[in-house]
Amino acid sequence: MLINKLRPHAAHCFILFILMVLTLSGGAFGQARYTISGTVKDSTNGETLIGASILSKEAKTGTATNSYGFYSITLPVGQYRIEFTSVGYSTIVKNIDLKANLQIDVDLPSKVQSLQEVKIVDKSVGGANARNIEMSVNRLDIKTIQKLPALLGEVDIVKSLQFLPGVSQVGEGSSGFNVRGGSVGQNLVLLDEAPVYNSSHMLGFFSVFNPDAVKDVKLYKGAIPSQFGGRTSAVLDVRLKEGNMKKTEVEGGVGFIFSRLSVQGPLVKDKSSFLIAARRSYIDAVASAVTGDKFGLNFYDVTLKSNYIINDKNRVYLSGFLGRDNFGLSDDAKFNWGNKSATLRWNSLITNKLFSNVSAIFSEYNYNLAFNQDANNQYAWHSSIANYVIKPDFSYFISARSEIKFGFEGSYYRFNPSNTKGITNGEPVDNSLERKYALEMAAYASHQWQVTPRLEIQYGFRFSRFNYLGPGTAATYNDTIPGKRRTVVREKHYERGQTIASYQNPEPRFSLKFGIDDQKSVKASYSRTAQYVQFISNTTASNPLNVWTPSTNNLKPTVADQYTLGYFMTIGTTGMYEASVETFYKKSVNEVDYINGAELLSNKYLEGDLLSGKGRAYGLELYLQKKKGDLTGWVSYTLSRSELKIEGINKGNWYAARFDQTHNLKVVGSYTINPQWSATADFVYTTGTPTTYPNQRIVSQGYLIPYNSNESRNDIRVSSYHRLDLSIRMEGNPLRRNGVPRKNRDYWVFSIYNVYGRKNTFSEYFLQSTQRVTANTPLQADAHRVAIIGTMVPSVSYNFKF
Amino acid sequence: MGIQLKFWTKFLLALMMPVLLACDDEVDIMLGSSTAVLNIDAWVNNKSELQTIKLTLSQPYFENDQLPPGVSGARVRISDDAGNWYDFTENERTRDGSYTWMPATGEQLGIPGRTYQLIVDYQGETFEATCRAGRVPPIDSITYKFEEGRGPIEDEYRAEFWGNDLVGKGDTYWIKTYKNGKFINKASEINIAYDAGISSGNGFDGVPFISPVRGKITPNEVDSDGQREPSIIHRDSLYVEIHSISLAAFNYLNEVIDQTDKIGGLSELFTSTPMANVSTNLANQNPKGSSVVGFFNVAVVSGKGKRLFLF
Repeated sequence: MLINKLRPHAAHCFILFILMVLTLSGGAFGQARYTISGTVKDSTNGETLIGASILSKEAKTGTATNSYGFYSITLPVGQYRIEFTSVGYSTIVKNIDLKANLQIDVDLPSKVQSLQEVKIVDKSVGGANARNIEMSVNRLDIKTIQKLPALLGEVDIVKSLQFLPGVSQVGEGSSGFNVRGGSVGQNLVLLDEAPVYNSSHMLGFFSVFNPDAVKDVKLYKGAIPSQFGGRTSAVLDVRLKEGNMKKTEVEGGVGFIFSRLSVQGPLVKDKSSFLIAARRSYIDAVASAVTGDKFGLNFYDVTLKSNYIINDKNRVYLSGFLGRDNFGLSDDAKFNWGNKSATLRWNSLITNKLFSNVSAIFSEYNYNLAFNQDANNQYAWHSSIANYVIKPDFSYFISARSEIKFGFEGSYYRFNPSNTKGITNGEPVDNSLERKYALEMAAYASHQWQVTPRLEIQYGFRFSRFNYLGPGTAATYNDTIPGKRRTVVREKHYERGQTIASYQNPEPRFSLKFGIDDQKSVKASYSRTAQYVQFISNTTASNPLNVWTPSTNNLKPTVADQYTLGYFMTIGTTGMYEASVETFYKKSVNEVDYINGAELLSNKYLEGDLLSGKGRAYGLELYLQKKKGDLTGWVSYTLSRSELKIEGINKGNWYAARFDQTHNLKVVGSYTINPQWSATADFVYTTGTPTTYPNQRIVSQGYLIPYNSNESRNDIRVSSYHRLDLSIRMEGNPLRRNGVPRKNRDYWVFSIYNVYGRKNTFSEYFLQSTQRVTANTPLQADAHRVAIIGTMVPSVSYNFKF
Repeated sequence: MGIQLKFWTKFLLALMMPVLLACDDEVDIMLGSSTAVLNIDAWVNNKSELQTIKLTLSQPYFENDQLPPGVSGARVRISDDAGNWYDFTENERTRDGSYTWMPATGEQLGIPGRTYQLIVDYQGETFEATCRAGRVPPIDSITYKFEEGRGPIEDEYRAEFWGNDLVGKGDTYWIKTYKNGKFINKASEINIAYDAGISSGNGFDGVPFISPVRGKITPNEVDSDGQREPSIIHRDSLYVEIHSISLAAFNYLNEVIDQTDKIGGLSELFTSTPMANVSTNLANQNPKGSSVVGFFNVAVVSGKGKRLFLF
């Protein structure tokens, strides 16, 4: 169906490609072979395990469970000892006499949980795993995240990502994160497959992901698999827990800023479960009590998940998210924003080798701004992006050495740039802008193939197409002076369903792993990615008012090519240390920047204020992790550069992107003192973000205006950023006074963020003194430096589970 | 970012500032050396008073002790599309860069719809700019209203001016306020309007100026600690003028606001755009010649004043 909509030529290429893949993986047609398939779960709560290993020593091969805990491995007839393992769980071994297809579902018992679970970093955080083909991927499990010292004691997923190589942030208070020199809007952030258009609460201090509901977090920085597309920088794939299948469980925490509570449990034992997790901040209530002023700054979110096992072969999942931030003053001035999303998924095992998942997704981000002076003078503003996605995805497990993934993705967008209604002195005025519509489609296939025991390749292809659709008005702009606002020469109206502009891009993806020995490997990758919706933000840090806009007849999609090369090793026979060196080079076209004085909001002719040019980013990422012992942790260092070249900015020369950071060092260490106490410290050092200074002043109508006679951009750095955080965790007593084990568990976290209270520079600005000026006296100029968090921030939180 | 939105966020943030964590410090920053550039400040209007065009050189940014050096010896003229010439002459005594023209009785520089050209000859180079004079609506009245304090703002009287934008899209205005005869000249007091609203995208045409515009004539007075204090007290007078400005001048003043009106602190999260040069409508006849900055606008002006009497 979808494929029909692709151009015939492209469709042919695509079918040819699938046939080629099938032929290449031909090994399957020799001797009699049978398939073992099934699901691996946690025995205590029935949660499916992602990435659990299924290994056969005899066949010297293995596989891993997918995002739904499913695995399939096809082996020749014979006797096998199959090992099922997952980090943090006891291994289960099954002796199998393989002479027919088998379904084996395994429940892995978790290791003694009470103490081991607090040990940091068992999984391969740095992607340093020398055996896996994946590169430029970081996986963080929730237990690792929970150990990092967090701002105000609240565990946060996006903040934890900052500790990984290649990941940075412009500063405290900025929404989102930057990966390998890409902008915030170039990351595809998925919550159970639903795109999240603003991942922040409270202006970036917290992310929307409730850690109590999150099962798995994976960040793809490069070598992006072909099932993902639509963004040029990175993919953050957050998966929610399914909910405890065995018993009802309540978890929660009380902190300075907000409290969390989650409940999960079976609806029908071993058949259906649910999870509901909620958070609500109360800084507004606290602040009102202290200052007596009535204002609001709060957020809440609710994460929901449920699933139902229809039978051995079919299972459905429903996930939902609703979050809202309120920022305002009583009833007459308010500003709020938030996401909502829903994902309905259907897993189906078509044969024991063919696994399918079909997802239907809805996601929306919107914000409202309202001001009421009185009944005759009001103003209300609303803006949103809504997205409907259908995504059938198939995995075909040809043999233990060969797996094909293919699927389609159809995504419909509705942009509401600004819906503005006002009343001035009793007269109503409607100032809304036209909505915009678009359809993005993609078909993809990839083949992962272990060519020899040492050489493994994964090659794939994604073909994407984007239609900017009517109804709508398309403006044509003149080409004037580079860097200046362009004016409209003509406008044309299009009817519903008419295509105003369309783009398509073939997106090849390739990666290769060569194992030097069991402990060392070299990996390389190439990936092309295309981005058809742009995030419009020209402030140092992105903020909730930033809007998304589609590619149009004027705004072309960004296309990026990324090359990576890496060396991965495990040190010591017990795998005590892992280390990696990765380099990347990325170049892109149609990167967006802005004219001076651009009006990005409620501007009908926004595109006249946008500039387009080239981008390039390159860097070196070093990573060393100690995985075992009382002291664990990692050191990550990134040396990189991210630049843009846009006509009309910096005299048309290359200049540093605003999130460019030359050096980026992170050190994380965690020490288990005894079964009750553990401590974690982290240190961050990054080069200051680039900025622009004036060198001259001009006076115009009595106003002092900064002027840069070099017309340069981002040629100066603010002072470097560094910060030390500490946290101590105290486990509650696992025994009652009478020595009987307690049913519930609890722990305290004491933390200090920014221990030495450094005022890290967020921005520097220049202005005329705010005192009134008398005629014929020189104007007084000042420079100011802003630190978003300029002190140390201590906190305590109490967490429980029963 | 859109100034409409900027207005609201600034308002909200200003009220919340005291409780937020951000800290904003004045610092010393070393800026590199650079060469000066010619600055032509040419805002003239149709009022029967001395019209001044100021030519100066730019200065190092932190030159807080010296007035900008005046540029002497230039020839400054304005012509219009009806063939009239207005010669601005230098004050030979002060030589401070001021070039003036005094309209004779019945003479007027600034007739709505007429296009004017500024020509400045200086050291063998010619700098030019053009501007079409816009139209301006009358001001009907000025009112004062007592408002209770909110957050850090104390109880105070606030002023509004009343008038309807002229019917027809695309009128742009600069509303200038004089308190007790003195122009209120802070960057935070720059009050511009696109039709009756704040930005070009608005739909407020031919209606009374919206409240952010009409209320912005209230001066922004602060005490020595930077805390807002009541701006209008018993016997204060406000005189409000609407100057018609070109669309280019409206855009220019928007850029001036972007570059000069900063409230700092946490608002930087919303407003910290890169420092960028404001535009100019002046051009050197020789594109490879010396740079020039500044702006030329010919305004048509309407005005009204009122004094506040509490008893």
